[in-house]
Amino acid sequence: MVTPVIELSRIEKEYPGVKPLDRVDFAVRSGEIHALLGENGAGKSTLIRVMGGAIRPNGGSMTYLGKPVSWQSPKQARAAGIHVIHQELALFPELSVAENILVDAQPRNGLGLISGRARHARAAEILSQLGVKISTHAKIDELPLADQQMVEIAKALVGEVRLLVLDEPTAVISGHEVDLLFDNMRRLKREGVGIVYVSHRLEEIFEIADRVTILKDGQVAGNGPVGDLTRDEMITKMVGRRLEQIYPPRRKAPASGPDILKVSNLRAGYRVRDVSLSVRPGEVVGIAGMVGSGRTEVAEVIFGKRDLDGGTIEFEGRPFDRRMPREAIRNGLGFLTENRKDEGLFLGLPISANVMAPDLAGVTRRGLIDRRGEREIALEQIRNFAVAAPSPEVKVGNLSGGNQQKVLFGRWSRIARKLLILDEPTRGVDIGAKVEIYRIVRNLAEQGVGILMISSELPEIIGLSDRIFVMSQGHVAGEIDGASATEEAIIDLAVRSVDRRESKAARLEQVA
Amino acid sequence: MSAVVAEFRRNRLSLSYVIVVALLILLVVAGGFLSDRFLTWRNFGNLFQQLVVLGMVSLGQTFVVLLGGIDLAVGSLVSASTVFIAHFLEWRPDLLWLALPLALIAATTIGALNGLLTIVLRVHPLIVTLGMSSIIFGGTLMYNKEPGGSVPRGLADFSYAKLWGIPVTAIVLVAIFALAGLWLQRSRSGRSIYFVGGDREAARLNGLPVSRIVVMAYALSGLCAGLAAIFLTARTGVGDPRIGTALTLQSITPVVVGGTVLAGGRGGVLGTLLGVLLVTMLNNLLNFLNVSSYYQWVIQGLIIIIAVSIHATKRRQ
Repeated sequence: MVTPVIELSRIEKEYPGVKPLDRVDFAVRSGEIHALLGENGAGKSTLIRVMGGAIRPNGGSMTYLGKPVSWQSPKQARAAGIHVIHQELALFPELSVAENILVDAQPRNGLGLISGRARHARAAEILSQLGVKISTHAKIDELPLADQQMVEIAKALVGEVRLLVLDEPTAVISGHEVDLLFDNMRRLKREGVGIVYVSHRLEEIFEIADRVTILKDGQVAGNGPVGDLTRDEMITKMVGRRLEQIYPPRRKAPASGPDILKVSNLRAGYRVRDVSLSVRPGEVVGIAGMVGSGRTEVAEVIFGKRDLDGGTIEFEGRPFDRRMPREAIRNGLGFLTENRKDEGLFLGLPISANVMAPDLAGVTRRGLIDRRGEREIALEQIRNFAVAAPSPEVKVGNLSGGNQQKVLFGRWSRIARKLLILDEPTRGVDIGAKVEIYRIVRNLAEQGVGILMISSELPEIIGLSDRIFVMSQGHVAGEIDGASATEEAIIDLAVRSVDRRESKAARLEQVA
Repeated sequence: MSAVVAEFRRNRLSLSYVIVVALLILLVVAGGFLSDRFLTWRNFGNLFQQLVVLGMVSLGQTFVVLLGGIDLAVGSLVSASTVFIAHFLEWRPDLLWLALPLALIAATTIGALNGLLTIVLRVHPLIVTLGMSSIIFGGTLMYNKEPGGSVPRGLADFSYAKLWGIPVTAIVLVAIFALAGLWLQRSRSGRSIYFVGGDREAARLNGLPVSRIVVMAYALSGLCAGLAAIFLTARTGVGDPRIGTALTLQSITPVVVGGTVLAGGRGGVLGTLLGVLLVTMLNNLLNFLNVSSYYQWVIQGLIIIIAVSIHATKRRQ
């Protein structure tokens, strides 16, 4: 029997009115990848923070490397070899890779000053251990997210690491970046590091994890070797009920009628090179592709957030000339951005204000905002989208990710009567809320709204879309029918590198 | 009806205000014990007269801070406006009806220019308004180095006029605050200030005219500075190129003490009014107790730090 790296026994954490952890037993062995599953609010992050010393539990005991411990601070846990990588990376965007990796272990020279040369040498050594090629001189904000994540992992390797905790590391990366991450996780595992892996993506759990612990409402709902549980069993334990049907039925006949949106030969910056696509009323059109393939940028150009360099955009046959979000909204468009906290919600304001933000005119009577009317609309949207909130006055910042997303649906469903653009609509949302969001999206489509949905989760794209455009390197690599799409077919298009000469020839052809 | 009461409780009497009100009550009680002249009708008459100028400038500052900005030009703008008003009226006392609107238009325009510059140049408002402050200050001194000018009798009378024992200027101030509160809470443009202050990019993606709202907030701050200058000139009877210098930083105290967050998006004018009351009353009491103005500065500094740290702790909970 291998001794666990860390063993938590009957851990409890209680805040007034809530109990995020209720007598939780949890153990990670050395050389094991242990998946931690659960809906948002199930207690995963609290458990992670207890292990990392950021939260002190109210009860229970913790054993680390065979000795009873009780962390006083995250620093103490880190010194002991526990490294937590949060979803929001803790990097300094303006500093170099080397400075970030050695942030609290800057090498000194003989005079006691920080030695730049030693720093870069040490940082490069750690990065080469990880098998990634990143310049130690590069600034963090010049790097793609996947590389930034590697820098974060490199930080863990500066000292001795015995337990590595990764909180949803794949939420922001895709494709071969995930493979690289998994390779490194396996390598660390061989070196005897215990790894806690939090993810919403069940497919990944089966690929990488040895054992799994499922939390539900602060309690352990199940645990054991990954092979002992089926996907459905895991979902059932997570949500506490069976999910009969994750995706709502697709539309029966292909959508007809004139295009709501027609994008032709769009160019914008270096990310969008040649994109043509269209959306008809009542259909869900998916955009698949790797992170960085230009998906988000296309959405931003359509909504008027980003300038275009060439090509045309038409709403219902009329060119979209006055290019700003305000005009798009006026034309019946809505945009749920992938980054709901920075580009969508007003976290410090109540639900009602957030729902009404793009449509203050709609509740203004004789120059004044009609508060009762506003409240009623907000209440109606809270009910329509099953937002778990006691009243419309609750600040949006106090809601869970899934509920925040539902507030955004509440906002845009009123405004976007023609076309709703969704960028990663289920990111950071638990599985119960995901299913609800899928239902909402399909309902909106059935009411005649065109939906343009970007997602990194292929099952979601396939399960929900009527048609799928696959993007690669700023181009539309192909269009697939949703009902017959497979993950393989999408990936095949997404990784197809577009030959530059070929596309240039194509452009010349169009000119001629 | 009960819904109205509930909403009133939730929004108006939020804990931020409770803290400031508690401090105010503490101050009144302490004042009553420490000085027999403090709790008198006459003193409160004086006190309300004193807080009008600071109140007006702080109101303007509130709009800008709610937006996530800051206006460091208000002090110089007040000074310059008093110089303009007093000299214009010395030249043509009969043109009072023209002088005051002109002063307000000029101050509003300079405020709007501040807002416009932060947008066009994409420079932090701290820098833009600091630069603007210096330009206005220097420009005023070029024109006039010493206090001068005069105001007609009517304007001077206005500043000492009382209605049922309450200074008219204070009534005007409260009315303006009430109007500002209504505007912020109930009008589209007022509400938009909270949106832009809360998250500028989100506001843009919600189709709000962000640039226009920014310019408007700074313009309002300028307008408030102009109004403050009218009150000030009426009371002092002269235009003084240095009179507003201290007002710039003083105007920020009531705003943050009243619970408006420097980062923008949270707070309101009621807090500012209470903050102005607190600061003015404190100084008034300390005057009665013959505490030197040096201590007044120190105590005011302590109040800022303590009040804001209480707000911050509460917000974290």
